[in-house]
Amino acid sequence: MRLGVLTGGGDCPGLNAVIRAVVRRGIRAHGMEFVGIQDGWRGLLDDATQPLGIAETTGILPRGGTILGSSGANPYRFEDGPAKVVATLERHGLDGLVAIGGEGTLGAAARLAEEGLKVVGVPKTIDNDLGGTDVTVGFHTAVQVATDAIDRLHSTAESHDRVMLVEVMGRNAGWIAVYAGMAGGADAIMIPEQPFDLDTGCDHLRHRHASRSSFSIVVVAEGAVPKEGTLELPEPPVDENGFPRLGGVAYHLAPEIEKRTGFQTRVTILGHVQRGGSPVAFDRVLGTRFGIAAADLAAAGGWGRMVARKAQDIGDVTLAEAVAQRNLLTPELYREAEVFFG
Amino acid sequence: MRIGILTGGGDVPGLNASIKAATNRAVGDGHKVVGIRRGWAGLLELDPGDPETVRTHTVALDPDVVRTIDRTGGTILHTSRTNPAKVRASDEPDFLKAGRVDDEARDHTLHVMKVLDHLGIDALIPIGGDDTLSFALRLHDEGVPVVAVPKTMDNDVHGTDYCIGFSTAVTRTVIFIHQLRTSAGSHERLAVVEVFGRYSGETSLVSAYLSGMDRAIISEVPFDVEKLATFLMDDKRKNPSRYAMTTISEGAHFVGGEMVMGGNADAYGHRKLGGIGAQTGEALKEITGEGIIYQQIGYLMRSGQPDSLDLMVAINYAVMAADLLLEGTHGRLVALRNGSYVNVPLEVVRQGVKRADVDALYDVDEYRPKIRHVDGKPMFLY
Repeated sequence: MRLGVLTGGGDCPGLNAVIRAVVRRGIRAHGMEFVGIQDGWRGLLDDATQPLGIAETTGILPRGGTILGSSGANPYRFEDGPAKVVATLERHGLDGLVAIGGEGTLGAAARLAEEGLKVVGVPKTIDNDLGGTDVTVGFHTAVQVATDAIDRLHSTAESHDRVMLVEVMGRNAGWIAVYAGMAGGADAIMIPEQPFDLDTGCDHLRHRHASRSSFSIVVVAEGAVPKEGTLELPEPPVDENGFPRLGGVAYHLAPEIEKRTGFQTRVTILGHVQRGGSPVAFDRVLGTRFGIAAADLAAAGGWGRMVARKAQDIGDVTLAEAVAQRNLLTPELYREAEVFFG
Repeated sequence: MRIGILTGGGDVPGLNASIKAATNRAVGDGHKVVGIRRGWAGLLELDPGDPETVRTHTVALDPDVVRTIDRTGGTILHTSRTNPAKVRASDEPDFLKAGRVDDEARDHTLHVMKVLDHLGIDALIPIGGDDTLSFALRLHDEGVPVVAVPKTMDNDVHGTDYCIGFSTAVTRTVIFIHQLRTSAGSHERLAVVEVFGRYSGETSLVSAYLSGMDRAIISEVPFDVEKLATFLMDDKRKNPSRYAMTTISEGAHFVGGEMVMGGNADAYGHRKLGGIGAQTGEALKEITGEGIIYQQIGYLMRSGQPDSLDLMVAINYAVMAADLLLEGTHGRLVALRNGSYVNVPLEVVRQGVKRADVDALYDVDEYRPKIRHVDGKPMFLY
């Protein structure tokens, strides 16, 4: 079987781990061959490919970004886009495709799959807002970067007796904001899912400053919105694909917080550093396991499906259950690690 | 002797190490140390007739109190930008408001001297940048024994080659630049990385030099954004990963343009900057049609723990300052000159802000670091 591999949408740490695992597993377990598609769907529209084998995927595991390049190009926004995609796949003798991406990339994959394209998906987005899976590649690295930043910003906020407003990514979902906020001990967190009332938030800050502390750390997701009628924020500009260009809501909130509380408020926008750099161990393992699963899924003909991981909830067990037996690594998981031996 | 110590201006990593080192040296020799909270504001807002204000604005420092403080960034004494020689109505404590009719800046130096007297402080170690130290010089002129310690992550205090905080700021910036490379490369974009540095472009220049940035725009040299666009497109073409990056000082400005200012002026007439990077990004996008990544490093440059070089300098400066006071020398600024620890007359801070040595370190035509004559330069090039 010959497969194309592409990465689409915003880059994130862990993409190279996925690419490496798909290729290694595919070649070693299934005798597959691979072609790298450059810059997401654009590579299939423009027929831009690169060799992709063991040699090309050696040493890329700890590297951020994607060796295949990425873009937000969507075949359905181009004339004859879907037909061009099919033509390019045929030209290279490809039997199917592994698409690694978020909402946009996999949205196109879903439509193409309905029209008969043989494609399997791998979920990645630092925002962690894709359905069907509890965690996506890149999310945990973004949380680590944001947590490190929040830890450090404490010293500046405290030295100046200020409120530090930290803006993190999250267009539709507050995953990064809540995880990094919990990990960093934020004093307030604003997210898209729960429209905020700035007056209530400021009450928290005033209470905190009156009772025990002279500074606060507030985390805001870029897509956070105020409760209707509580605060007017300017509309964000729209990009060439029609999506609002978020980022910068903190600049509008800071003066409002300052006005309401009288506390000096400063802004730090983490921006692209959240998705740059080397992936944390969790994302390397997740990317690797997703990659293995995607190669296996393609080998089994599971077209039109996406690999996913379900493990989110905290439950409880009896103490007796907890100590009755040690939690040991399963043979299956060890076999996943074995894919890369030698 | 009773020594007062305070930190003013923006926080930098290393201040706590200085506080600890000075305290241990002075107490070790049988002297007392008093920490003054929130910089000069601590002295301005202290009312000798109100014991509560003494309690809230000072803290007795001894080896037990300072034992673990050097492990964290910021300053345990907290800081402010208040200058008691120029106090506006909003910063003036009620008990000093008598006679105020407008928002005119007023001089409360005499009050500060009364407070020092009341606290029994014989000598001061102020740690700060040129603003904080300009008031230290004022007190020196009035006869108060002072030895000052220079800190700013912009490295812009006259009289010294090095200020506490600069190394960590550069270290952080270099790390972030390398992290941004993967995003810039994956999307084949132009990246504009804005760094703090109001009047001095040293953070932009040195970070770019150390991280191998394609270009560096600095506060000292106005730039032509069309020319920058041409350079970056050329850099991108030559880069096998098809991206290009530039640093830019927050205080940079276009040829013929002014510094892009936002926000209100603070007590020193400084404006809160930020914005030239975003404007440059917009302009580059318009000129080249390329996707742009614009990233401000901002407070992350100076937040958190100090790196080893800042620890080294912070500790040595503080030990030297305490030594000078204990031997009866004052009116001095501790400093690094050509790689050696020295002390210089505090009057040097009258020269205002020190700027990057453009002739020796920068190529004004190519918009990038160009270090000339490394032979004979001190380790940090300054």
